[in-house]
Order: sequence, then structure tokens, then C-alpha cells
Amino acid sequence: MKYADMAPPPRSEHLWRYTPWHWMHPSDIEIIPDALPIRFEAQEPVDMNTNICVASSSNEYARVFLHEVAKSSTIVSSSKDNELMNLYAVASGHVACSHLHFNIKHSVTILLHLSGEADWCGLHITSKIAKNLNVSFAIVNELSNTTTYLECQDWDIAQDSSVEFAGITLGGFRTKSDIRSNLNGRGANMTQAISTHGIGQRHSDHHIEIHHVEPHTTSSLSAHSACDDESHLVTTGLLTIARHANRSDAGQVFRNLLLSPKARAESLPELEVLADDVSAAHGAASAPVDENQMHYMMSRGFSPAEASSLIVEGFLTAAFGEIKNPSIIDAVRTRLTVHLECHIKR
Amino acid sequence: MKMGEEVLRIENLHVSVEGVEILKGLTLTIHKGEIHAIMGRNGAGKSTLANVIMGHPAYEITQGSIHYMSKPLDELEVFERARAGMFLSFQYPAVIPGVQVGTFLKKSTQSVRQVELSARDFRKELKDAMGMLNMDSSFLSRYVNDGFSGGEKKRLEILQMLLLQPKLALLDETDSGLDIDALKIVAQGINMVAPLAGCLIITHYQRLLDHVKPDYVHAMIDGRIVESGGPELAVKLEEQGYEWLEQHQ
Repeated sequence: MKYADMAPPPRSEHLWRYTPWHWMHPSDIEIIPDALPIRFEAQEPVDMNTNICVASSSNEYARVFLHEVAKSSTIVSSSKDNELMNLYAVASGHVACSHLHFNIKHSVTILLHLSGEADWCGLHITSKIAKNLNVSFAIVNELSNTTTYLECQDWDIAQDSSVEFAGITLGGFRTKSDIRSNLNGRGANMTQAISTHGIGQRHSDHHIEIHHVEPHTTSSLSAHSACDDESHLVTTGLLTIARHANRSDAGQVFRNLLLSPKARAESLPELEVLADDVSAAHGAASAPVDENQMHYMMSRGFSPAEASSLIVEGFLTAAFGEIKNPSIIDAVRTRLTVHLECHIKR
Repeated sequence: MKMGEEVLRIENLHVSVEGVEILKGLTLTIHKGEIHAIMGRNGAGKSTLANVIMGHPAYEITQGSIHYMSKPLDELEVFERARAGMFLSFQYPAVIPGVQVGTFLKKSTQSVRQVELSARDFRKELKDAMGMLNMDSSFLSRYVNDGFSGGEKKRLEILQMLLLQPKLALLDETDSGLDIDALKIVAQGINMVAPLAGCLIITHYQRLLDHVKPDYVHAMIDGRIVESGGPELAVKLEEQGYEWLEQHQ
């Protein structure tokens, strides 16, 4: 399917309800803009190759668009000598776009740090994870506060493999992130944690789909959004359990911390459970900072601004409570601390 | 006994919550080095007293005054009271998800002392205090009060008190939820702080006072102190309850 042959998605679609397509396109929606590739670098030597970007294997609108805009696909392959990969992605110019594919055949931890001053950035991450692996992946979005960022991710997880996924959005002016995971084999597991900090007029929309395709698959999703100033943070989820995927276990929890009267948060977890013998739960909650927490912290000498800052940091960190990988936890905590020290008035 | 400097002076204090008067004319003075225990039934106003001294915004002082170190307290924010040396060990400490105990302790100690502490010096101080309270270092990586047992919460409160070195320590039912061994450890912490501070211990039971010897015991009924005495009053209240005091009202 070509982008030019597709009709733009209507806002009645769950996926585009809060962030219409014309907000995310870098110019006129009929145009495929010229783009520079995102520059990828690795801290340690890794098996990384760049090829001409091929057409998207998906017919989903944003994915088709990203593959037509991107000039290149960067393919990163795991190896038994690389248990930890620190990758840096820098987006510059007016429009920057790439496809990044992880070819994973070994247990590995990947930390992807995304930054840059591009006006518009598009990234499609795909990954196929072979059987019996433990994979941890973190993506830290520290793009410029003026960047519009369109991201799609697709994770295919094979039998008895386990993925820990951590995502933090600390940058970008407008973000649309569509993350989809398929649990394709018995014993496959996805533990997903996402934190977003809304400041200024940031609009950040995360859509997270987890599909239990096979029986005995497990997943958990924890998404925390701290909404300050006039930010608007959206989290929608779609959890599906196929008819024969019995003995699957899935849970989604969305929490929003409202820090300003003008900030807005929307959370819509959705379940489609077709199997009978499963455990599936979802929940969402929005609340301002708890007065008892504030009083307790102030009674320990914290000024109101310091107390609020630490509560926000804790709230965003707590999303990662189920993530076990220490490298991921350290990276997430460090980036959050640095970011909040810079951005929260003390 | 030589009297230390005056730490806290409360005169004819009346306090309301949502229009309901809880404290109805309470007067109390605490000097440095003194341990005062307040006992009373549930609802007598004991926790209200501790909270209003610490500046909880839900409580309104309608009459009377509180002076701390000879200065009126009413213009100080909660965090300014903490930085001035006041400490409240909470009956129900708040849970702060995502904030590790170690980070919290260092930042709060720095906030109260208003100095940047070197990681090395603080670690040593923390290790000593935790050793005294028989606390494992794994505590430090847990989130503040998140999933803590009642006893663990109280130990963390006492650990904070040791680190913050208050001039006035308010302990609101710090003995509740503690087993005998934990009670002894917590009492040891209080006894370490007491010589350099004024202490106000709110309790229902004599058992903590077996390990922390109060200089004064006060019985509180319906928002007022109705009887004051030495440690023998706590024993009498434990044995006879509060009915005999009500008959005197």
C-alpha cells in the first residue's frame, strides 16, 4: 500500500482520537517531505548496518508514511559479545526520519537515547526477538521542546522470551507514539513501563497495544504521566487476548498526576479478551499531588517546590517498579533526576 | 533538676477542624532535656496537638498561642518549622512511591541542616544510625514507607529523628505496632535524642514509658490537660483508666 493511495485516518478511530494526523504531519498531509536520516551511534562497537529503507510490512497509516519518508533502515544485530548496547540517535535538520530494526538472537540490554533539534522527527522501531531470550530495552526521548515526534514501534516476541521495555518522554513539543507488541509464542512475556513528563504546552500521546496471540503468555503495562503547566498527556491502551490464548495473564495500569489546573490527562485502557481461561485487569486514575505526602515531606524540611519535585520524580520512577534490569533502572533514574533538576522550579 | 532553656510554650490553645473544636484551652511548657508524655483516650485531641504544633494546614488555631524557642510559631511554614529544629514522628507516615529511602534521607537532612553533605560523611552517619536501630542497608533502596510493616515505618521515623537532630521531638504513638524488641530499639533512639531536645511523647500505653522515663506525664480529656504528674501518673492511668479523672471534671 502506498501513502498516496490511503485516506487519512478519521478522528473517530481510537488511535487518532486525541492527536489527529494533520497535527503530526510535518507539512501538507499529501506531501512526502524530504528528510535527513537520524544519525545513530553506539558507545561500544556493535553490529550496525544501514540500508535503503524498504516499504513497510504493515498497512497502518503512520508506518507506511514513515517508511516512505525515511531514506534508510539501520539494522542493529545482537551478538554474544554485546550484552549491553548504548545507542544514541540524533535528529537534526527540518525533517529527520529513519527506520531502526533490532535483529535479536541473544539476550541483550539496549539503551536508546534520542535527542536533537529537528523540527520534525519520525522513527519506526521494529524488532524480532528469537526464542528463549531475556531482552531489556529503554528509550529516552530528550528531543528539543519544539520538535514534533512521530514514533511507531513493533515488537515480535517468540516463545519463552521475555522483554522489559522502559520508555521516558522528557522532550518534544508534540509526540505521537504507537507501540505494539505481539506475544507470538508460549511463555512469551512483555513488561512495559512508560513515564511522561508534561511541561509547557507539550502534547504527548502514547498508544500501547499488546497482543496475546498464543496461550501461556504474560504482560504488564504501567504508564505514569505527570502533567504540569498547560500540557496534555494521553495514554490509550489496547490489550487483546486471542480466542485460543488461554492461561494468559495481562494487566494495565495508567496513572496521571495533575500538577496544574490547566494541565489535562486522558487515559483509556481497553481490553478485548476472547479466551475464557485468562487473568486480565486494567485500571486508570488521575489525581493531584496528595496533600498528606506534601505535608509529610515539608515536615522533613523540603520547601513546597522541593517536595513537589521529589514527589513527581518518585511518581515517574514508580512506573518502572516491575522492571528488574539494573542498567535500565539506573539509566531511567539518572535521566529523570537530571531532567527534573533542570525543569522544575525549586 | 536544672531547668534547660524553654523549647515550647503553649498557652490556652483552642484548635478547630472543619468548625469542630478539638483543643479547648490547652497549656503546656517544655524545656530542653525534658520528656513529657501525654496520655488520653482516642479522640481526646492528642494527635491534633502534635499536628497543630507542626503546622498541618487542616487545623485552625482559634485562640491562644504557641511559642517555639521563645518566638511565635504562627508565621512559620511547615518546612520552616522543620528547618528550625522541630520534628514530628507521624502516627501514619505518608507513602512516597518511587522515592528511595536513601535519597529521601539525604535530601531531607540537607534541607533541614541547609548544608550540602558529602556522600562519604552522610553514608557514615547513616550507617551508624541504622546500626543503632538494627536496620538493614536494604532499607535504603526501598521506596519511602511503600509496603513497610507498621514496625518498619516507626523505625524509619526514628531513623529520621536521629539524622535530623531536632530541638523539639514530637512522637505521635510511635510505640503502636511495635513488638517488644522493636520497642526497645525505638526507645533507645528516643533516649539518644532526648538530652538535647524537648520531647513530647503521645502514647496510649505505659510500656514505652518503661524504656523512656518521662519527667512529666499529662492526662488529656476532651481537648484539655486535666492532670499532670510524674511517671506514677502513667502507671495509675494504665491501672485505673480515665474514669476517675472524668469524675473530677
